[in-house]
Amino acid sequence: MSTADVCAAVVPGVQVTGAWLSAARDAQAGHLMQVTDKVSRQLAELQLTLGEGPLLDASASGGPVLASDLADRESGTRWPAFASAACRAGAAAVFVFPLVVGAIRAGVLGLYRDQPGPLSDYQLGDALVFADTATMLLLDAQDRAGGSTGPGGGPGGQPADLASHRAEVDQATGMLTEQLGVSITDAFVRLRAYAYANDLQLAEVARDIVARRLRLFPDPDLSPRHET
Amino acid sequence: MDGHLLSDTFVELTDTMVADFDIIDFLHVLTSRSVELLDVSAAGLLLADPRGELRVVAASSEAARLLELFQLQNDQGPCLDCFRSGQPVAATDLSADQRWPRFAAAAGQAGFSAVQALPMRLRDQVIGALNLFRTTPGAFDADSVHVGQALADVATIGLLNERSVRRRDTLNEQLQTALNSRVIIEQAKGKLAERLGIDVNQAFTLLRDQARNRNQRLSDLARAVVDGTQPITGPADGAGTSRPGARQPRPGLRPRPVP
Repeated sequence: MSTADVCAAVVPGVQVTGAWLSAARDAQAGHLMQVTDKVSRQLAELQLTLGEGPLLDASASGGPVLASDLADRESGTRWPAFASAACRAGAAAVFVFPLVVGAIRAGVLGLYRDQPGPLSDYQLGDALVFADTATMLLLDAQDRAGGSTGPGGGPGGQPADLASHRAEVDQATGMLTEQLGVSITDAFVRLRAYAYANDLQLAEVARDIVARRLRLFPDPDLSPRHET
Repeated sequence: MDGHLLSDTFVELTDTMVADFDIIDFLHVLTSRSVELLDVSAAGLLLADPRGELRVVAASSEAARLLELFQLQNDQGPCLDCFRSGQPVAATDLSADQRWPRFAAAAGQAGFSAVQALPMRLRDQVIGALNLFRTTPGAFDADSVHVGQALADVATIGLLNERSVRRRDTLNEQLQTALNSRVIIEQAKGKLAERLGIDVNQAFTLLRDQARNRNQRLSDLARAVVDGTQPITGPADGAGTSRPGARQPRPGLRPRPVP
């Protein structure tokens, strides 16, 4: 599965008109990776031009921004320039999901509708699952770019189930930033790669790290430091 | 019930909500005060994730065993029943309760004998539950349940404070933001625990205390810690434990890979 598949599947999946996906490397501004149509592209680019909009709000808060009617007063007050420009571009509702795991920022998934109306509870739940999938795909892509052997997005690669992931996984990720001297994103990638390479469940590995039964060491290929 | 403590609590909670407040910190205060006010041993707040899970956002203690107990209720337990029915659910003696065998066993092992779950309701929607534990069996008195429900309602209002309560979208935005903030706090706990050679529970206390001392939102500080933009020093009484920036494993830590 690819990020293009996620965008293609989310449109009929949660009954929206179009979708876009942009990737971010940690806190840096994202670049647009996928769009399903012209309006989506415009929506993604508008916010960068205007310096306001649900995308930027979602990136700042770490939570989704759900604007089910861009013509209502709330949206007009929140984003005076964006709301009217988005309406002119052909969008009536915009839903933006930051692709995050705590402080890890992988990107943003944006959806729009040409008619106003909120996502139902089921659609919201499904959109969040699509967002989780996209998050893991983006992190896997970074993993491959980094050259280490990881879970990958290929056959046999199992994306971690973010919804059911436990506090220990987050704590272990935080611990690994110190053990490995890397960013939180890289720490998470390493944690998953270790679990995959050793055929262990992510939660098991995390529990061992938190209980201090297991330490990981900086990759000798990537770091001059060597711990014994 | 201590009426003075009760009024103090409501003043404290409403005070917190006036300014640019942090929802996770607010809910932590709320669970801590629940323990004092309602004569219970532990309290936790669970929110419903639209993906279909109940997730802990705040607890009176960060003890792993307690957090497990809350999380276990995704399979069975009073919180799940309360969430599904929208009604309070109580078990006055878990050792004799047949409804949730796995949950009752785990609660018993953790030393709890009685449990009460109170719904966080917003009109027709149940968004989560306040979970109260006691170490002694017996009924929760009506006053406590009444005040407990009021605290659960205050928690709901806290989640909705930023914008119009009528927007359903807002509630969902706030829920997800709170859940993600909780993840950031867990990541920061791990990072601090490793850096300072303390356990994750101590790391949480340290994080919370420093956020208060610096008058900073708990989740903002947690994010700054994880991003490495704001250093945190060890607890004052344990100044010798480690220096900030020290990355060496503590002498007592034996590296041991999983076979």
